[in-house]
Amino acid sequence: MIGELSHFLSLSAVVIFCLILIFNSIFFFGKIHPNQLSLSLRMFNQACSLIFISFGIFVYLSINDDFSIAYIASHSNSQLPIFYKISSIWSAHEGSMFLWIVFLTAWSLLFINSLHHDHPLKRKTLLMLSLIILGFLLFLLLTSNPFERILPFGAIEGADINPVLQDPALAIHPPMLYLGYVGFVISFSFISAYLFHGNFELEWEKDIKDWSLVAWIFLTIGITLGSWWAYYELGWGGYWFWDPVENVALMPWLAATAFMHSLYASSKSSVLKTWTMFLGILIFALSLFGAFIVRSGIIDSVHSFANDPQRGLYLLIFSGLITLLALGIFSYRLPSLNVSRYIVSGSKESYLSMNNILMITSIFSIFLGVTYPLIIEALNGEKVSIGPPYYNTIFAPLILIASIFIMASVDSLWQRSKPIKSVALTIFIPLMLSIIFIYIVWHVTAIFSILPYIGIFSGLLILFSYLYRIFSNFLSKKFINTGSAIAHIGLGLLFLAVSLNSILSYEKNLNLAPGESIQINQSIKEFSFDDIKVLKASNHDVISVEVSLVQDGKNISLNPQKRKYSTRGQITTESSIHASVLKDTYLTIGDQLENGSWTFALKINYFIKWIWFSASLMVLGMLITIFKKKVT
Amino acid sequence: MLQARKNRLWKFFIILILSAGGISLILFSLNSKLDLFYTPSEMFEADIKPGYRIKLGGMVKTGSIIRNGTKIKFIATDFVKEVPVIFDGVPPDLFKEDSGVVVLGYFLDGMFEAEEIFAKHDENYMPPALSIEEKET
Repeated sequence: MIGELSHFLSLSAVVIFCLILIFNSIFFFGKIHPNQLSLSLRMFNQACSLIFISFGIFVYLSINDDFSIAYIASHSNSQLPIFYKISSIWSAHEGSMFLWIVFLTAWSLLFINSLHHDHPLKRKTLLMLSLIILGFLLFLLLTSNPFERILPFGAIEGADINPVLQDPALAIHPPMLYLGYVGFVISFSFISAYLFHGNFELEWEKDIKDWSLVAWIFLTIGITLGSWWAYYELGWGGYWFWDPVENVALMPWLAATAFMHSLYASSKSSVLKTWTMFLGILIFALSLFGAFIVRSGIIDSVHSFANDPQRGLYLLIFSGLITLLALGIFSYRLPSLNVSRYIVSGSKESYLSMNNILMITSIFSIFLGVTYPLIIEALNGEKVSIGPPYYNTIFAPLILIASIFIMASVDSLWQRSKPIKSVALTIFIPLMLSIIFIYIVWHVTAIFSILPYIGIFSGLLILFSYLYRIFSNFLSKKFINTGSAIAHIGLGLLFLAVSLNSILSYEKNLNLAPGESIQINQSIKEFSFDDIKVLKASNHDVISVEVSLVQDGKNISLNPQKRKYSTRGQITTESSIHASVLKDTYLTIGDQLENGSWTFALKINYFIKWIWFSASLMVLGMLITIFKKKVT
Repeated sequence: MLQARKNRLWKFFIILILSAGGISLILFSLNSKLDLFYTPSEMFEADIKPGYRIKLGGMVKTGSIIRNGTKIKFIATDFVKEVPVIFDGVPPDLFKEDSGVVVLGYFLDGMFEAEEIFAKHDENYMPPALSIEEKET
């Protein structure tokens, strides 16, 4: 009964959104009545609240183990802690789509109500948002209904959540990611409304700036959490696999990053305005493309949900229409938007636009990498896959060029070019430091591989440019944009960490009997397999292994596990990680052989913690940017 | 021709050349970096050059897994043709007899040397080509 109530509330929201759209389109050509907006806004707010209440009830049902609802029965279990009962809602397609819509609604509601009542774009933005929410609500209810009942008798016990998803990082990862994805619905709808409106004297940047910055933060945290979770929970020891689903998250992120940058240029001077608008539309379009890739099952990926052509078709058509609508009005207005101001070469804008081009290039390359297997299969029926080598070769040169522009832009000015002579010193010193440092890296590691060295060099250029700038500004007590400096230092560190990780890390496959002890290399003098135990936990059996290492003269004990979950019979590997500043010692158990010995995979991952640390620096930089603006 | 126009033409050409170069680089690396996917039968039919990395998808034949230290030998089958596979390392948890497997590596002298065995989140996973065949039978 309560389930039907929840279902009914969602259906009512659909009706109200339809009413808003019908009601407004009737008056579309006529004169706008002053109360029309008030009424639409009220209806909008109520429809949004209905969705929230509906979702709230669904959460309640999940906590109270209503296994007569098919979705809850197949993804939750009465033995789960409440935290995971809630997070089981977004562990599969239907529920996660529901969450997606709830976030979409929440962003829309907050944004619309934050706009001043007389804001000329308010009504059009509201209509655009209603259209998008309606489209996704219909998608949820028609193709992937989470409220479906098991009739006539419900299940007695739930089938349990997939054990690898029973993890705090993974419980938070999807909400963060979705908050990021759908947050850009604001820039999308607002820019579309602006273009429809056609009064180009209006300032639109400041109204969506903070919203986009916040969405960017969520997106960054979401991607980082996903990568961190994959590293410690999946037991593969990697942090990024260039999997199609990771790629479709990276594309909106790159677009969003480019958008943030050109939004600055666009609000400082009027150049790059059209470009910024295009990016603002592109981010959400790419998020929609991501939703299509993940939820249609068209690409075989570890993340993709079950293959369902009907869902894929709906999403493709709906996302296509929405994107076409926005891009259509954009190209229609393009001639009248043209701002006839040239960008001064050598100014900050010029470097920004160069890097914008690079980011678009990288988005395009990823897009090609994701869709190329589909194109090939459609053309000649061959199945192909594109792995990390493609992305590495594409990204290395792009990163290098980007970091040169970043380095040049550190000391540049808005709208004015700076003579080469005055910037020579600020470029020369970081360049020299980078060359010296890379020589040290080569000397210490005695490994040379071209792509990682490009990455290291790029990272160093950015890092030293900003450090030098901070240092010299500190001496001369000049102003520095702290947020930007921190975020870019994060980026430099990221390049550095990723590249060093790829050349220094290594792995060993071992085969030992209990009680046995071996030497692995100069760093790990002793690896002993001390003990093995079989334990019982509430919903799984554990094989727990104790291993002690003598690594670099220090004693380390590791405790990797294998778990077998009773309800699904699924086996998971729990890695054991010993982290130090420079490297992680990462151990997983393999299988038992006939002679009673066990196999192990030992991975030494260098600088891996630095990857997540640098992502946090970027988030910190962005936070500082948001809050500093509020104060001044 | 006006100087400004000449400059613009130059810029246009430079951009054109750069983007053409960029796109051809992307396409070139796409073609050299992609892995073709085969089922065992398809692999025998296709004429694969030695040293060419491919992906092979099939089922792990029942009772075919032999372990020796960290080395694993098994047979990947599509119920028509069989390919012996060798791998050194720890396979993912979902690698077991009579279930789907995808391996990446090289086919040399009747033996597939796997660099990587792919893990799938889904325990019911089957390579798409095989699941179609199974539905038909």
